Amino acid sequence: MESQETIAKKPTILSDRYQTGWKEKVSEIFSRYGIFIIFLGMVTLMSFLTPYFFNVLNLINVVRQVSFIGIVAMGVTFVIITKGIDLSSGSVIALISVVAADFAHPGEHSLFVPLAIGVGVGALTGLINGTITAKGMIPPFIATLGMMTAARGLALLYSDGRPIGNLSDSFLFIGAGEILGIPFPIIVFLVVGIISHLLLSNTKFGKYTYAIGGNEQAARICGINVDRHLILVYTYAGLLTAIAGLMLTARISVGQPSMGVMYELDAIAAAVIGGTSLTGGIGTIPGTMIGALIIGVLNNGLDLLNVSSYWQQILKGAIIVTAVLIDSRKNKKS
Amino acid sequence: MKAQKIFSWLMISVLMIGLLSGCGVSQSSNARGKDHKIVIGAAMPVFDDKWLTYLYDAINDYDAKHGNVEVQMVDAKNDSVKQLTQVETLVVKGVDAIIITPVDTSAVEPMVDAAKKANIPVIVVNRMPTQDVLDKVDAYVGSESIQSGTMQMEKVAKLLGGKGNVAIMTGELGSESQVKRTEGNKDVIKKHPDMKVVREGTAKYQRAEAIQLMENWIQSGDKIDAVVANNDEMAIGAINALKSAGKLDDTLVAGIDGTTDALKYVQSGDLDVSVFQDPVKQGQGAIETAVKLAKGQKLDNKMVWVPYELITKENVEKYVKKWKEYNNN
Repeated sequence: MESQETIAKKPTILSDRYQTGWKEKVSEIFSRYGIFIIFLGMVTLMSFLTPYFFNVLNLINVVRQVSFIGIVAMGVTFVIITKGIDLSSGSVIALISVVAADFAHPGEHSLFVPLAIGVGVGALTGLINGTITAKGMIPPFIATLGMMTAARGLALLYSDGRPIGNLSDSFLFIGAGEILGIPFPIIVFLVVGIISHLLLSNTKFGKYTYAIGGNEQAARICGINVDRHLILVYTYAGLLTAIAGLMLTARISVGQPSMGVMYELDAIAAAVIGGTSLTGGIGTIPGTMIGALIIGVLNNGLDLLNVSSYWQQILKGAIIVTAVLIDSRKNKKS
Repeated sequence: MKAQKIFSWLMISVLMIGLLSGCGVSQSSNARGKDHKIVIGAAMPVFDDKWLTYLYDAINDYDAKHGNVEVQMVDAKNDSVKQLTQVETLVVKGVDAIIITPVDTSAVEPMVDAAKKANIPVIVVNRMPTQDVLDKVDAYVGSESIQSGTMQMEKVAKLLGGKGNVAIMTGELGSESQVKRTEGNKDVIKKHPDMKVVREGTAKYQRAEAIQLMENWIQSGDKIDAVVANNDEMAIGAINALKSAGKLDDTLVAGIDGTTDALKYVQSGDLDVSVFQDPVKQGQGAIETAVKLAKGQKLDNKMVWVPYELITKENVEKYVKKWKEYNNN
C-alpha cells in the first residue's frame, strides 16, 4: 500500500524522528490519519448539532446511502492511482440499471441472469475504457468522457427513454434487503472494501497499479505490461460500478435511464477527499471509504439541519477543494 | 507553525468534547418543542424549474401564514436515489406528514414504504403513481400527466381537421413529463388514420435547442403541418425558427404549461395551443391535505383533482390575469 509513499518519505521521517520530539510524531500521525480524525470530528459535530443524527436508524441510513457511491469510488481509486480518471461511472450505472431491470421481472429468469448481465455490461464498458486509453493512447479523460455520453445514449435507447419497473422480490433484496438487521448494500460495501484493500495493498496487482501511477515510463522499463494492467484496472472499476448499479436499481425498485447523473463526480470526490492524489501513485481504499462516509455524513447532517440545498452545494464544493489543498500541501512537504 | 496547528487541533477536540457533554441536555429540549408545532416534510424533485417554483411557493406560503405549521422542503435534484435518501431522513426526523412530488413515479414506492413503516402520512402531488402505489398513499393531489398530452393533441387534431403531418418535440429524454406527454400525443394520433408523426426529436425542454432542432427539420424539407412540443419553451423556440424561415403561417404550434411568456405568444397568435396546469392550486391542495392528515383528520376524498385547462387565443386573457395574481403574492 505504501510502497510509493514510504520510498519517498522514509528518509525525512527517520531523520526528523531523531532530531525532534513529540511534535513531529503528532504531526506525522495527523498527516497519516488526518482524514479519519476529520471524519470523527464531523460525526461529533453533527451529533451535537442535531439530536436526530446519532441514532441507530439514521446511522444505518447514512452508511447504506454511502455504500453505492463508496463502491464506485473504490474502483475509481484504482484508476486515479494509475494517473487516470473515470468519468463514465454515472452513465454506466444507468445502462446497467435498465439492462438488468429488463431481465429481472418476476417469474422470467433466475436472479443469476440479471446479476450476471449487469456485471458483464459493467466489465465490458471498463474493458473498452481501458483498451481505448492504453492501446489507443487517448487520454482517459477523453476516452471515459466518450463512454459517459455513449452509455447514457445506450441506456435511453435500450429502455426507449422509459423507466423499467416490475422487478422480482429476489432482485429487490440486493438493494432493499437486510441480513441480521444489516442492510445488504452495507455488507457488500464492506466485503468489496476488504477485497479491494487486499488487492491494492497486498498483491502484485496493487504494486503495479502504484508503479504505473508513480512513473509509467519506469514501470514499462521494469518490465510491467502497462497496457494490459491498465485494461485490467479499468475493467475492475467497471465491475464495481456494475455492483453499485445493480444494488441502486433494486433500492429504488426500477431501472432508470436517467439514473446516476453526476455520480462519477461524487465518486471522484470521495476518492480525493480520502487522500487519493489526482497526480497518480497515491491513494488507499480505507481512505476512499472514509472519504465516501464524509460526503455521506455531510449530506445527511445538512439535510437533518434543514440547510438549504443551495448552501449544501456551496459547502460541499468548499470541502472538496479544501481536501485537495491539504493533500497538495502534504505532497509538497514530502 | 506546526506547533500552532497541533494546538488548534487540540483546542477543537477539547471544544468538541465539551459540546458533546452538553449534547444530552439539548437533545431533550430540541426533539419536541413545548407548543407542539406541525412539521411537514416536502420532498421535491428539483428546485430549478420555473413552474414547480409556484407550487413550492404555495406550500411555503402556508408555513409563513400559519405559526403552528413548519415546512421542511428538500431538493432531490432530479435524482430518485437522492429523493429516497431525503425521505428516509425526513422519517428519522419524525415529521408529521410527508409531501412527495416524485422525480419518477415508478421509483416512488420505496419512499412511500419508508414513510408508512413509521406511520407517517404520505401525500403525493403533481405526478401520479400507479394504482398499487396509490392504494398505499394517504392522498394524491394533481392530475394525470398523460391528459396534458391528449388534451393538447386533441385540440391540434381538431384545428388540422383530423389530418396532417405532425412533428413532436420532446423534453429531457426519460423524464416523467416527457414520457407521459408524448404518450398522450401518440394515443390521440392513433385515433386519426390521416394524421402521422413525421418527426420526433428532443430539445431537452430548452428554447435554444428547439430553435436548432426546428431549423434542421425545416432544412430537411419535410412537410410539417403542426409542431407539438412537450413544453412551451420548446414551442417558442420552434416559433422563432419557423418565423425566420417564413413558415409560421402554414404551421400550427402547440405547447404545454401556459407560462407567462407563452401567453404572450398565444395573444399574438403565434402559439396556437397551450395547456395550463395550476401550480398554486396543487401546492395549496397538497399542504392543506397534509396538515389535515397530520392532525389526524379524515379526508372526504383521497384523490384531490386539479385538472388541466386548455389555452387558446379565445380564453388567454383569463390566464394572463391569473399569473398576475400569482406573481403579486
